[in-house]
Amino acid sequence: MKPSLRTPVSALAAAVALVAVVSVGVAAPARAATTYGKGVSAAEPVKLSDILAKPDAYVGKTVKVEGLVTDVCSKRGCWMRLAGDKEFQTIRIKVQDGVIVFPMTAKGKKAVAEGVLQKFELTKEQAIEQAKHEAEEAGRKFDPASITGPVTLYQIKSTGAVVD
Amino acid sequence: MNWRRLNNVLHRDLGYLAVALTVIYAVSGIAVNHRHQWNPSWRIDREERRFTPVPLADRETMVAALVERMELPGPPKSSFRSAPHVVELFYDGWSVKADATAGTAVIERPRSRRLLRESNFLHLNEPKGLWTWVADLYAVVLLVLALTGPFVLKGQTGLAGRGKWFVLAGLLVPMAFLAVLLWLPGDGAPPREEGAGRGRGGMEAAGRP
Repeated sequence: MKPSLRTPVSALAAAVALVAVVSVGVAAPARAATTYGKGVSAAEPVKLSDILAKPDAYVGKTVKVEGLVTDVCSKRGCWMRLAGDKEFQTIRIKVQDGVIVFPMTAKGKKAVAEGVLQKFELTKEQAIEQAKHEAEEAGRKFDPASITGPVTLYQIKSTGAVVD
Repeated sequence: MNWRRLNNVLHRDLGYLAVALTVIYAVSGIAVNHRHQWNPSWRIDREERRFTPVPLADRETMVAALVERMELPGPPKSSFRSAPHVVELFYDGWSVKADATAGTAVIERPRSRRLLRESNFLHLNEPKGLWTWVADLYAVVLLVLALTGPFVLKGQTGLAGRGKWFVLAGLLVPMAFLAVLLWLPGDGAPPREEGAGRGRGGMEAAGRP
């Protein structure tokens, strides 16, 4: 009977399979909190209520926020919405499509995200289109009459996050 | 062992090695190419429910009332009020968004698409870490397969025969797209801003979120 590992390539196949098994073993224990993108720095988080009280003071600056994940982009996982320390306040954490993908299961979990605060001043038409797009993605009904004028939106263009 | 024998052994054994990952990456590639039309990893089951409206109160009181009136299985793991009359309740793997005054709610249950979710998880390198090296190694294997493939056969069916025309055709396809969409000026070219023209990146480039 011929030996099973006759060529260096066959040995390579065995080595690659071994690496795969080892990688799964190494990756498995790190499931407690999941890091996305570059993760977050050791900087102190800023309260979302502080940011939303004086947003223009933070626009263009890197901020770290923490809170409850209340929504996730259901199409591409390219954003999530974080609730802050006060009721009725949320902010969208936007990441580059495909680079970071937030899972649908992040909803209801605590998360920390870091990135640059962006400001968008939308005309009424742009705001309607934006809201319509988000409603379509979420599979929700949207009433254009709910938007009555121009809208200023703030979001964090995030480079990384950690979800519990 | 002459060079062609070595070439063919390499091509054959690396080909066997690459079967599983090629299937995974190919299936996932098709799935994520169309992610503007669907979520390739998750499907969301939505159920609309009606209940007797709940009066406005503090969040804990409203949550308790919603749990009772909607006959939900116990208190949620977490909750949030996104508006005075809108309460969101989060359970393990599913959530409820209730309009307390209207007495309407939507229950959302995301379910992963079996095999596709796993394929996309690997293809989009969500594991990061060591998987990045495995994926890099797979890319090198693909490169070796591409470079050894044309030299497997000789004669009329080899590279010197009709093989060269197939290689040329395979090269012309991406070149034609690049020429029309990237290199040649004209109205047909997409915007050059980073991310523009691809999904929401285009919106952002236009000053919108």
